[in-house]
Amino acid sequence: MLATLHVLAVENGDGIELLPEAPELIWGFVAFALLMVVMFRFVFPRINTLLEERQQAIQGQLTEAEQAKGEAEELKRSYEAQLAEARDQAEEILAEARTQAETLRREAAARGEDEAAQVLARAREDGEAERARLVSELRGQVAALAVELAGKIVEKEIDAEQHRELVDAYIDELSGLS
Amino acid sequence: MRTLPVLAAAEWGGEFEGALEPINSLFRFPYFADWGVFSINRTILIAWFMTLVAGAVFLVAFRNPQIVPGKLQAAAEGIVEFVRNEIAIAIIGPKGTRFVPLLVTMMVTIFFLNLAKITPFMMLPPTGRIAWPLFFALIAWVVYVGVGIKEQGLAHYFKELAFPPGVPKVLYVILTPIEIISNLVLRPFTLMVRLFANMVAGHILIVITLVTIHVFLPSFPVGWMLGVFGLVASPLVFGFELLIITLQAYIFTMLTAVYIASSVEPAH
Amino acid sequence: MDNLGNGLVYGLATLGPGIGLGILIGKSVEAMARQPEAAGMVRTTMFIGIAVVEALALLGFVLAFAI
Repeated sequence: MLATLHVLAVENGDGIELLPEAPELIWGFVAFALLMVVMFRFVFPRINTLLEERQQAIQGQLTEAEQAKGEAEELKRSYEAQLAEARDQAEEILAEARTQAETLRREAAARGEDEAAQVLARAREDGEAERARLVSELRGQVAALAVELAGKIVEKEIDAEQHRELVDAYIDELSGLS
Repeated sequence: MRTLPVLAAAEWGGEFEGALEPINSLFRFPYFADWGVFSINRTILIAWFMTLVAGAVFLVAFRNPQIVPGKLQAAAEGIVEFVRNEIAIAIIGPKGTRFVPLLVTMMVTIFFLNLAKITPFMMLPPTGRIAWPLFFALIAWVVYVGVGIKEQGLAHYFKELAFPPGVPKVLYVILTPIEIISNLVLRPFTLMVRLFANMVAGHILIVITLVTIHVFLPSFPVGWMLGVFGLVASPLVFGFELLIITLQAYIFTMLTAVYIASSVEPAH
Repeated sequence: MDNLGNGLVYGLATLGPGIGLGILIGKSVEAMARQPEAAGMVRTTMFIGIAVVEALALLGFVLAFAI
């Protein structure tokens, strides 16, 4: 095929050249080789170090982020624990308050009942005492009245001492009847 | 050889006579420094300049590499990343990272040499001269054959290459010559011709567009419309050529990677 | 007659690759539309295929100008 092309190229001087010219081949190759040297010596080492640096930077950032995430999780966990604790405490306090209130109520009720009973008892005692006092007072007065009345009726002066005994006996009889 | 017989209508104002004739005059420039095989012509100067630009871009981009890249560095890194991920690793596999510098250099150089096609004051792709595609293809050939020999051993590589396994023995009569020619001759040859022909075609297209404008625009009454058409079409042509330039650089690099991949791990 | 020959060489050289490229790219687009997650792989393979098919057309082009 190359031979055919060579024949074609030689036969037709004014067609497109299909055989390379030595200077162009040499200079083109030299230019390309120089570019290769420059790229291999100066550009690609830098690209490689750059990529490595970038990789390291990204790696560092990633680990940093991982760390921060861990810290945040730790923080969150502690907060949650605190929150749970606080909730427990609140519940405890509430229950305590509830029982306290219950006991208070019960105590108050009991005390009230006691007091009422006391008041009632005192009132009863008072009443009893009053009655006793009244009874004794009444007894005196009734005796005097009766003596007076009897003196008036009988017109016979009875010895006061005898009289009192009589009346007392009478009253005792009465109170025994009543 | 006569080109453009239709457009070369002198009686309509278009004075094409000799403009594109011979076609080689579009590509072949005389040597102004005659030093034997080290002579220098316009094409070589353009190639030097473009190679210099390619090297300078990368040197400046990575002069002081930052972890958070600037604009130029980000662009250059984008190219390297693209070649690394989309070409080297995707085609060759994990072993491909070794070839990233070669592939990047190849792609960037071919791109910039092609770019001379639409760069003002140059307007000539060095890759449109057979010498440049030839040595790029030769580099690819040397690399993939060398890698094959290194990875599989000399005897094993050529045995696998000439006698692909899993084929009935009778077929080797036909298959072996085809495989040898296809793997060792046609591969670099098509690499070379693809790049070369694309650049030649693009250059001719651009020259025709610009010459159309140049020739027809001044001849007001008759051929004037054709000149205006060329004027409107030229940005589109340039854009299309930019696409071809990029695509050819990409395809050349990708095919080199494919050939390297076939050497690293033989087809089973 | 010379020009006619050139035109014929290139015209004939484009026929096969033209049909081939149409089928190739069409099928690739179909595959990419069906499986968008495999688009990268399909694209790479498509470009390899295009490169192989295109070589034929370009050979015709070069020969058309060289003859």
